[in-house]
Amino acid sequence: MTGTERTPLDPPWSLDLLADLHAGVLDPEADARLRPRVMADPEARSVLAALDATMADLRSLPPIPMPRAVADRIDAALAQEARPAAPVVSLDEARKRRNRRLGMGGGVLAAAAAAIGIALVVVPGGDQADQPPGAQPTQASNTPVGSAQPPMAVKETELGAAVPEVLKAQNYGPLDSQDRLVGCLKGGGITSTAKPLGISPVSLDGRPAVMAILPGGAVAGQFRIVVLDPETCGPDNPQGVIADTTIKPTR
Amino acid sequence: MTAAASSDADLISAHAAGDPYAFSELVKRHRDRMWAVALRTLRDPEEAADALQEAFISAFRAASSFRAESQVTTWLHRIVVNACLDRMRRRQTRPTVPLPEAGPGEPVAPRDAMSERETRLIIQDALAELPEEQRAPIVLVDVEGYSVAETAKLLGIAEGTVKSRCARGRAKLAKVLGHLRNRSADANVPADGVNVQQQRQWEDR
Repeated sequence: MTGTERTPLDPPWSLDLLADLHAGVLDPEADARLRPRVMADPEARSVLAALDATMADLRSLPPIPMPRAVADRIDAALAQEARPAAPVVSLDEARKRRNRRLGMGGGVLAAAAAAIGIALVVVPGGDQADQPPGAQPTQASNTPVGSAQPPMAVKETELGAAVPEVLKAQNYGPLDSQDRLVGCLKGGGITSTAKPLGISPVSLDGRPAVMAILPGGAVAGQFRIVVLDPETCGPDNPQGVIADTTIKPTR
Repeated sequence: MTAAASSDADLISAHAAGDPYAFSELVKRHRDRMWAVALRTLRDPEEAADALQEAFISAFRAASSFRAESQVTTWLHRIVVNACLDRMRRRQTRPTVPLPEAGPGEPVAPRDAMSERETRLIIQDALAELPEEQRAPIVLVDVEGYSVAETAKLLGIAEGTVKSRCARGRAKLAKVLGHLRNRSADANVPADGVNVQQQRQWEDR
């Protein structure tokens, strides 16, 4: 189709032929015969200019940096690969989990966090650590919104077990919004303003709470779990942070 | 810490020699560009993330036997592009989802950047309308700036095929983007219905 014998030398030329000429598809002989004629034709020249403008449009698209959640997930997966004795992550299993997920940021990390082998360091967020969990009054009015199901039951001593589920959710529950979350975190001295990787209402030892998973800072594959009391937390209340935990790869 | 100044080939050698950080460092160098390619080709952030993870893990496992050190970058990019193409082929019939205009944490564009943002969206929408066999070479050559020769290697097709798929894709895009609006209908240029429709969507925003 690019041979000289089949290349029409007089206008009008098809858009496809002009685009081929523009892209250097034609063989050198056909190109040499056609190009001067095309350049002498104002309409054909305007088509070449349109193709140039199209390429300029495409070049103007900005770079898209990899989102932090994806970078973290890949770092975690590679860290897992780098551990020779570690069990191999089943991609099928990871895919099944991802198919169930609700939001990307959370889902993306669910498999990685579950697979990486996590070590938990629980840092009590305030005085309430001294109280037995049952001492907190149950607040019936605090039922999380946006979910017909009861919130996930979580034990304060086993926060890590809830991570895969929370990573799949972007449900602020009684906190309503990211702004409210940022305020509550600020109260606990946590300055993260990033969107949480996952967030969900939970029932922490029977008490209504919201669990958020935040990017863990500079260390690849590290995440931070924060549990908040939605009833009292806010920028001025350090007690609103019930638990603050770091998950890191066991290396 | 792995030396920042190492070449890609040094990193592959270090990886083969057991340095647990070398491969991650290699990935860090290339991940943004590969993410852009994956996202623009697949148009689905979850699929793009899955494709990249699969590709990087398979590269990680194969890297210790990799010998053609001068071509580490091409080799790694090819694994990523193939992972994306595999996924595109597998999901042929599935509809695509809109490409997010901003990643998480990216600042909202200021008011004076609005029209630039809208133009960008229109270009992205136009790209999405291309058949996948044209979109991949256009993304690689025209958006990401790979050479025709590199693109041919990445896609595993002849350079002439890259050029002619780019030519077809650009011709379609020139119409959709309105650059060919005034051209007469005798040269395969349909009425600019698509463009009018896009323009309306734009104005309605």
